[in-house]
Amino acid sequence: MAQNIAPGNSTTASPSKGNSDKAIAGRDSHSVSKRLQHELMTLMMAANKGISAFPDGDNLFKWIGTITGPASTVYEGLSYKLSLEFPCSYPYSAPTVKFVTPCFHPNVDRHGNICLDILKEKWSASYDVRSILLSIQSLLGEPNNDSPLNGHAAELWANQVAYKKHLVEQYKKNNVDEK
Amino acid sequence: MAAVRTADSRQQWEIIKKNFCIDGDFSQINDSGEDLQLVVRLVQQLGAGQLVLDLALDAIWLALRQSVVPKFWQHFVTFEAQTNGKEDDAGEGSVEVMSRVATAVSELYDSAGSFVPQINRCEMLCEQSGAKFEDCIPGGLMEHFKLHLRATLHSQMPSSFMHLLHKFYSAAFKVFYQAEVGSQVEESEEVTDEPVPCGGCGGATDACHCQAITNTFCQVNKQLYGLDLLERLAGDIISSLLLSVITDHVSTTCRDSYDQSCINQLEKWVENVVVGWLELVYCGSRGQLSSADAAIQTMVSNNLNQTYMTALYHTYTTTRIDQLFNIVIEYPESQPALEDIRECLDRTHLRDRLVESLRSAIQTRLLHPGVNTTDVLHAYISAIKALRVLDPKGVLLELVSEPVRQYLRGREDTVRYIVTSLTDESCSELSEELLVAAPLVLDDSHSDDDNMDNWETWTPDPVHAHNLKSKSQRTADIISMLVNIYGSKDVFITEYRTILADRILSQFSYDTEREIRYLEHLKVRFGETLALLHKCEVMVKDVADSKRINTSINSDENPHREKQKFPVSAMILSAQFWPSFKEERLQVPEEVTKELENYTEAFQDLKGNRTLNWKPHLGQVQLEIELKNRTLNLTVTPTQATIIYHFQERNRWSIDDLSTMTQVPKTVLRRKITYWQTQGVLQEVESDVFVLVEGEETGEEGQTAAAGLPLADIAPPAIEEDEAESVMASAQDQREEELQVLWSYIVGMLTNLDCLPLERIHAMLKMFVQGSVECSPQELRAFLDRKVRQHQLLLTNGLYKLPKN
Repeated sequence: MAQNIAPGNSTTASPSKGNSDKAIAGRDSHSVSKRLQHELMTLMMAANKGISAFPDGDNLFKWIGTITGPASTVYEGLSYKLSLEFPCSYPYSAPTVKFVTPCFHPNVDRHGNICLDILKEKWSASYDVRSILLSIQSLLGEPNNDSPLNGHAAELWANQVAYKKHLVEQYKKNNVDEK
Repeated sequence: MAAVRTADSRQQWEIIKKNFCIDGDFSQINDSGEDLQLVVRLVQQLGAGQLVLDLALDAIWLALRQSVVPKFWQHFVTFEAQTNGKEDDAGEGSVEVMSRVATAVSELYDSAGSFVPQINRCEMLCEQSGAKFEDCIPGGLMEHFKLHLRATLHSQMPSSFMHLLHKFYSAAFKVFYQAEVGSQVEESEEVTDEPVPCGGCGGATDACHCQAITNTFCQVNKQLYGLDLLERLAGDIISSLLLSVITDHVSTTCRDSYDQSCINQLEKWVENVVVGWLELVYCGSRGQLSSADAAIQTMVSNNLNQTYMTALYHTYTTTRIDQLFNIVIEYPESQPALEDIRECLDRTHLRDRLVESLRSAIQTRLLHPGVNTTDVLHAYISAIKALRVLDPKGVLLELVSEPVRQYLRGREDTVRYIVTSLTDESCSELSEELLVAAPLVLDDSHSDDDNMDNWETWTPDPVHAHNLKSKSQRTADIISMLVNIYGSKDVFITEYRTILADRILSQFSYDTEREIRYLEHLKVRFGETLALLHKCEVMVKDVADSKRINTSINSDENPHREKQKFPVSAMILSAQFWPSFKEERLQVPEEVTKELENYTEAFQDLKGNRTLNWKPHLGQVQLEIELKNRTLNLTVTPTQATIIYHFQERNRWSIDDLSTMTQVPKTVLRRKITYWQTQGVLQEVESDVFVLVEGEETGEEGQTAAAGLPLADIAPPAIEEDEAESVMASAQDQREEELQVLWSYIVGMLTNLDCLPLERIHAMLKMFVQGSVECSPQELRAFLDRKVRQHQLLLTNGLYKLPKN
């Protein structure tokens, strides 16, 4: 079949295909920003206590989030900043979420990487920024000690008093460092 | 030999001296031409031409200085001394002045005339001996003589002279003016044989000496003109008299009447008076101008055009400028006056003054709290129309109306008034404007800047337009101008939506024909695509739908209808498209709730998966109240109905109990109860306790009812106010809500990004907030500052941040 096509046609066909690809990509990025904008609105209007996020500067694909530790856990009263980076394929692939404020936690490593299933293999397009932040917030109070990224924290978790003492020390040290 | 010579020369000197009056004695000049010829020859022989001439002229100057001029002035000085202290009696005084001036001038004329032979002699001497007088002046020796005379006169002029001369000329002018202008008036007056004083000279009619005055006057002018003194001595006075009479005439003509064009008439008048007067002065009588010197003719016409017409325009414009505010307000009756002003403005340089004066008039007379917004708006509309007449390019308008716009922006009810009058048939001015089907011209449209179709008729803007807005903006129509007070359509449509909602809900009728008509007009004006107008369309459609649904639910086929205690009809509103309502709580009686539920069920049957969310405090209730000896048929608000409903079971309620029962706040409740008090149905027996008044005249109860009546007289104002209350949240409340949305974004922003400057917040809001929540940086600043005052925000070094916890 292919040899029946005039060579001229095939050459003209390929650039136009490229164009339409670009157009799709453009539309995609447009629909992604639309989705993000919508998420921002729901987040702003919902006004959940303890979680918040906002685009960092002019870039809609990079957000700064803030969560405060859930009440009646060792993290109560502490607040953590996170960075959220959305890929162009969002929401079909998960955003990259990291702690910016160092966080002493069994499932968070020294670089702020988080081990959370919904950010990895269990990601679904129906999640949004709000659900991510809520999940991370609840993760603070209920760590998964079976697959720790921070072994020390996982060991210490059993002793809540000692854990809290260490946690607060670390937190204060980091905040002093920041200042 | 030497002695003979001396004697001889002495004799010769005597002859020369005598002939040229070198000793200053001008009385014995004899005109023997032969003698003169001899003498001149003698002088030539002696070679003393120059010397003799100098001596002769010196003698003349001396005579002028020492006798002629002082004598002339003496007349006036003595006159002044005589009249000093005497009352300035216009009639007699002027006659005396006339004769005095006339005598003095004719004496001067005579004595000056006596020098003429002498001057002629000198001239001859010049010609024959080649002697020269100071030759810096063109013209002959005669001119030179006149110059000397003028100079000498001026050097010795007494201060009172100008005053006297002024009197002299004004008397003459009065006579002339009377003859010229007053003649028509006089004819009718002369029928009465009363000795009316003559308008010209002030004397009795039978003893009028107008003619005498004119005669003297003409003679004096002629003599002065002969001496070349007329222009020098009296020119100023002649023209100042004309100018002042022009000013007077213009201000009387223009007083308070703007509905006639008078500039042409004034031009004619000025021409008449000026030419007449100048003729009289320079030619001796009227109608002589054509036969007069060419010099006089050009002088008169130059003066007329350059001085007097300019003066006319100037005076006219100045007078009108002072009246401009009234003229503007009285537009369109004042159209002729405006056209006059437009014509005159082109010939004067009074534009700036006009702008300045009108602005300050507006500032003091319009823009203060004592003036109703409607009046300000009407004035603004008049100003737009009137100044368009003055200046079709709209530059004046722009300059003048800027403060008005700013002021209107500051008034809260402006938009409401504009929108109401746009859609109000009784206020034709604006609603007619609305019918003009032209799309709005707004600040941001630059469509016709590059319009090349009419390049041949393009005219540049006036020079002082440089710092103004685009041309399209300035020539926009009235509605555009009004909308531009705010610079955005949205504010207007939002307000219109509120008013529309108000009207629909307060009338509670299903007749929407009028609303649809206005909506169509607005669509033409504001553009079809405006989302807010679409909402309005849905609102009107809701009404039509409600009508249909009601008919269907209340029809006989409806199974629920059997059980109905009273008919219910609903206005079903699509919540998304209506402006937000003022929320009021009201617990309606159970009986009513049940009916409403029935209605809801019927609606659900009809509409499948939809339901109703009632706003019990909105709407109307038709009540029939049966009291002991009377029945009241009333249409009231649901709250009022609920109140009276509860009095069915118990005829004594305290405010507290009633408030718990109806869930209406006590203050509102009290206000609503006043209505029933005015109806004589309820009465406050002790503070905060109300009882039902059954009858009016039966027994003791009747007396209390009668006592309750005076209350009714006091209360009505409160009721009317209540009735006028809008059920809709005001535009400002809505704006407040929008700002609340922005606030949640701002909180989100500052929680995550710590602290930001105003510009950054504004930019981020613009970027990330969905929908059309507009907010200028100024408004945002005001909003944030308010939050700072409420301690919800901190401002340090120009950065806003949230307070810790």
